[in-house]
Amino acid sequence: MIRIPEIITRHVLIALLLGGVTGMAFTLFLIEFDRLTGTEAFCTGCHSMELVAVPYRESAHYNPVSGVRASCGDCHVSEGVFAATWDHIRGGKDLFAQLFGPDYDDPAINALHLPEAAFAVRQWFRRSDSATCKRCHTLDAINGTRADTLMIHQQDARGGSCIDCHYNLVHRRVPDRKTFKRDKWNRMIEREFDMPPGEADKLLRQ
Amino acid sequence: MVYPENYNKPTRLLLLVSAIWFGTFGIALAEKVTLSADHWGVAEGKACIDCHKKSSPGLFRQWEESAHAEAGVNCLDCHQAVAADDDAVEHEGAVIATIVSPRDCGRCHTAESKEMHNSVHSQAVALIGNRIPALAESVSEKALLQAGCTQCHGSVVEVRGDGTLSPESWPNTGIGRINPDGSRGSCSACHGRHQFSKAQARAPGACTRCHSGADSPDDEVYAGSKHGLLFTANRHRMNLDSDRWVTGRDYSAAPTCVTCHMGAAPGLNASHDVGMREAWSLNGPVSEQQYLVIFEDGERRELPVAQPVPRRKSDLAKLDGSTATVKAAATPKQRRQAMSRVCVECHSKGFTSGFMRQFDNAMDLYNESFGKPALSIMRALYEKGLLTATAFDEPLEFTYWKLWHDEGTRFRHGAAMAGPSQTGWQGLHRIAQLYYGSFLPQLREVAGEETAKSLIDKYTSDREARNDTGYPRAPIPLVGYGAGKP
Repeated sequence: MIRIPEIITRHVLIALLLGGVTGMAFTLFLIEFDRLTGTEAFCTGCHSMELVAVPYRESAHYNPVSGVRASCGDCHVSEGVFAATWDHIRGGKDLFAQLFGPDYDDPAINALHLPEAAFAVRQWFRRSDSATCKRCHTLDAINGTRADTLMIHQQDARGGSCIDCHYNLVHRRVPDRKTFKRDKWNRMIEREFDMPPGEADKLLRQ
Repeated sequence: MVYPENYNKPTRLLLLVSAIWFGTFGIALAEKVTLSADHWGVAEGKACIDCHKKSSPGLFRQWEESAHAEAGVNCLDCHQAVAADDDAVEHEGAVIATIVSPRDCGRCHTAESKEMHNSVHSQAVALIGNRIPALAESVSEKALLQAGCTQCHGSVVEVRGDGTLSPESWPNTGIGRINPDGSRGSCSACHGRHQFSKAQARAPGACTRCHSGADSPDDEVYAGSKHGLLFTANRHRMNLDSDRWVTGRDYSAAPTCVTCHMGAAPGLNASHDVGMREAWSLNGPVSEQQYLVIFEDGERRELPVAQPVPRRKSDLAKLDGSTATVKAAATPKQRRQAMSRVCVECHSKGFTSGFMRQFDNAMDLYNESFGKPALSIMRALYEKGLLTATAFDEPLEFTYWKLWHDEGTRFRHGAAMAGPSQTGWQGLHRIAQLYYGSFLPQLREVAGEETAKSLIDKYTSDREARNDTGYPRAPIPLVGYGAGKP
């Protein structure tokens, strides 16, 4: 006969049971929370995100031949409940900026700030060794439609990370940080939105 | 034809000066790359090859068969850029530029790059600056400019804010292309990338991609000339791959465009400054003999001989409108002497000067009988308000354009390069039909019989007046007079 230690009283047992159920419920909540907050519908709930989703809907990740559509969270939220939750906590600063920062809902302001956002996201991909790409893409299985695609990925892409070569696939094209020229970007946006010269710099300073 | 001891002192001095310009004396060779091989073969560039061998095998193969590959020049040697360059892009870890400008090529090919920069070719955008608005905007649109005009003359390449090259201005290999680094020209206008074959660039096709059709019918003229037929028949004997390619020494089966306009002959250096050896302008409403003005910074422009000879150290406008100091000017005679040095490798001096006389006579005929009268008449019609200032809104303007630009150019290029059919049937025959059959009748319609007659009387030269220009000539059966009668 096993003797239950005296410390395990009825109250403790109830507390453990409640705690366990709450913990499980919370974990399940996080899983669902992470899933729901990674959907296109949720992300584009902010107008600023709708602006970056427009080119996405023209891209191969939205309209792939295979029919396997990648949603916002598939690329931009890590796999696993802890990592995903952490990404959302970090993402909270974007929500803060959306509420209290520049008017990202304005297409011109959005486009002016886009390069820095792109640089940050590319850095994020690099740090994770393009982990979210690899959810769907397996290096050994990349055959391509030309024989050379397979060979390049087998021989030349070894040691690199997806993001090293594959960027500007989905959203509006932004040059690599190394060759980005803020002045030229601003002039382009000014032309695009019929703004007087210098207006972009003014908007950025605000 | 040029033997210094046959000339008096001033002429010898002139010859000495022209000798410097045209690189006379000694066996003429194209400048070779004199840099040591440690200037190329950058290690990072080897990775490009591994991938491009698979991703773009055709391009790789062209490079692999090139002298560049043989010397160890790889992709990055030419395409390398620094991040601050306007058109720099990051590409699989390297900072590169898509466009390899003449300045880039000039890192090794210094002399050619400099010659090209100073040549009329590199001015191809500026040269049509005043024609494009009328032609392209009155008669056509942007689409023609992009796919037509600028593919030969060159676009002003625009790098957009996102680092891409604007598709409005790229792809483009026009010879006067204004590159993102500010340089003028495109080596690949003539040197097909990525093989950069000597043989390809020496063959007429390198030139006739652009020098064909109404504006510059040299393909047609050359093909119908004795020079062209000899080339076609003897291509295999042209030694086109040879390192050294001096007329009369390394080949003699036929001349190509390169031979006469930029190639080496004994006593004459090869030069990428094409156009130096041409005495006449052939592409305006009226042809004129031209000085070649050399500025102190090495750039050049042409100036009609009707204007006073530009003095050394004087200021003169360049083609781009800026002012520069004159270093020297070559006269049309000197320019022709340079050209004749090529001729005499295969022809006698008498043959050469005889041909030049026939050419000059043809220019004179065109100018006096058609070019000058038509130009003066048009000018008067605009001044009198009988034509609107808008270009190409009246039939007479189209006729005039066709007269000097299409048929006039064909005739003059035909005469310059000994293509008799283009000179005759495709040239003067059509000029005459157009002038007497369309231009003068349309003039009468626009100006009325009386004004038309006074304009014709005023502007038609004495020779034409003797021929009773513009009025019926003696009847001949060839045009139907008395046809059918015994």
